[in-house]
Amino acid sequence: MSAITAVGLKKTFRGKDGDVDAVRGVNLDVAPGEIFGFLGPNGAGKSTTVRMLTTLMTLSAGQAHVGGVDVAADPHGARRKIGVALQEAGLDPRQTAREILVLQARLFGMSMASAVVRAQELLELVDLVDAADRRVKGFSGGMKRRLDLASALVHRPEVLFLDEPTSGLDPASRITVWDEVRRINELGTTVFLTTQYLEEADQLCNRLAIIDGGLIVREGTPTALKQELRTRKSMKTDPTLDEVFLDATGRTREMGAGEVKEV
Amino acid sequence: MTPKTETTPATTAVEPEHHSSALRDSLLLGGRAIREALRTPDSLLPTMFIPLFFLVVNVGQAARIFPSEATPFLEGQSYGAFQLPASLLLSASFGGAALYLVEEIEGGYFDKLRATPISRMAMILGRLYAEFVKTIAVATVMVLLSVLVFGIHIESGILGFVVLVTMVAIWAMVFSGFMQLISLKTRSAAATQGASMIFFPLLFLTPNFVPRNQLTRPMEIAATINPVTYIMEAARSLILEGFEGETLAKGFAVIGVTMVLMLGLSVRMVNNYD
Ligand SMILES: Nc1ncnc2c1ncn2[C@@H]1O[C@H](COP(=O)(O)OP(=O)(O)O)[C@@H](O)[C@H]1O
Ligand SMILES: [Mg+2]
Repeated sequence: MSAITAVGLKKTFRGKDGDVDAVRGVNLDVAPGEIFGFLGPNGAGKSTTVRMLTTLMTLSAGQAHVGGVDVAADPHGARRKIGVALQEAGLDPRQTAREILVLQARLFGMSMASAVVRAQELLELVDLVDAADRRVKGFSGGMKRRLDLASALVHRPEVLFLDEPTSGLDPASRITVWDEVRRINELGTTVFLTTQYLEEADQLCNRLAIIDGGLIVREGTPTALKQELRTRKSMKTDPTLDEVFLDATGRTREMGAGEVKEV
Repeated sequence: MTPKTETTPATTAVEPEHHSSALRDSLLLGGRAIREALRTPDSLLPTMFIPLFFLVVNVGQAARIFPSEATPFLEGQSYGAFQLPASLLLSASFGGAALYLVEEIEGGYFDKLRATPISRMAMILGRLYAEFVKTIAVATVMVLLSVLVFGIHIESGILGFVVLVTMVAIWAMVFSGFMQLISLKTRSAAATQGASMIFFPLLFLTPNFVPRNQLTRPMEIAATINPVTYIMEAARSLILEGFEGETLAKGFAVIGVTMVLMLGLSVRMVNNYD
């Protein structure tokens, strides 16, 4: 059974100045245990796809299952299968890290005693034990991301969704998050992550898809995608994932570089 | 960083020990909202001091126009006793819950909560429950200060005191509930802040300075249409007259009907939130 499937996923935003077709028919099939990368330029539809897969947004068309559960028909069932860390690490600044984790665990049905134990485990997992009883308001960007990651894991989800988990982090914090994602994945959790950093995708992902203008334009393992471009363009050496990305999204290296790196 | 060991495999889903219920979820979220209020006294204190300020200032300015011996509607009490309900209702009209909610929507924590399998309604009720508790505390202090410092006497006694404070606190839930609807609809702090100004007409197109039958004709019409008038009159009757069945019934009827309306709209809004 697949960890994530999507068939003909679409999202249209109705607005005052016309409709926006943010996602225009996305198909996905992610196997259990994979780290699946979802790449694309700004505004490609990555976050919208994640929000549909995580029950936060209705589907305009299509179907999606996570952990075998239909997200539209049984949203609560789906919520028990998944953990979500969204693009803006949404945390309550007035609570401490521990309080946030305990509350999150209790909202997933745990008793106070189990929630306290689980919170401690997660604080250790993301290395926030020393900061556990400080209010989140004073946390650095990296600490907030790690806490957000931990709070997505309270109920041991089968599938973890991470929307740009490292955007805005300094290089050291970014590598820490990568380590954590790998570790979580090694424990058996399927990871679906969106990113604008191609190096990140290359390092972490077993398989990836590139989305542009609401449609998937490439899909495969990083190696296969590079190989495909090399063959098609008769290149002498293997291209980088950057080149695959620029080729897929129809951006030239000159104009593309600025757009991709500026996050 | 050293790898840490998990006690159980990551994918062994934790069996819920409790079944999610709207009540349990509301109390959990309400507890958090109360903690939040206690940690931001700078937003809690004005809900007490601004109404007390108006009470002192209004009484200071108008007490000589309305001496208690020569003013039948005061029932032998000072003008402060007549003014207290307006101050209590002002303290219930800050819509604190909605301002916290919109902050949470803008900051993204609301989405984090939406991704948990909790009752959607609990996201509304949790904050309203906290609003109830906060207002009970603030209103109790305000009435006690009025009794102990300004010598106001609650004609309906201890039970009336409890009814008075409870009525104000339930109204605070209703008012905040409508403000929360604005937060959910607009998802904007500025719009929520702007909409909360509705408390001006609601609170001042009332018989807040003199009884309804002594208002000018246009004001009397406005006050008669304004639902808050009936809550104010019910609160006032508890302070000046004792338990007046009909007046109290009208006050609670207004609160009941607006509560049902607010809850109905909230269910729709939160279930269709996209
Ligand atoms: N709530 C919304 N209302 C209207 N348009 C939206 C909304 N959310 C996203 N969009 C639009 O949908 C498109 C895809 O956005 P998004 O999924 O956030 O892209 P990405 O995460 O890949 O940067 C963009 O054009 C964006 O402006
Ligand atoms: Mg995005």
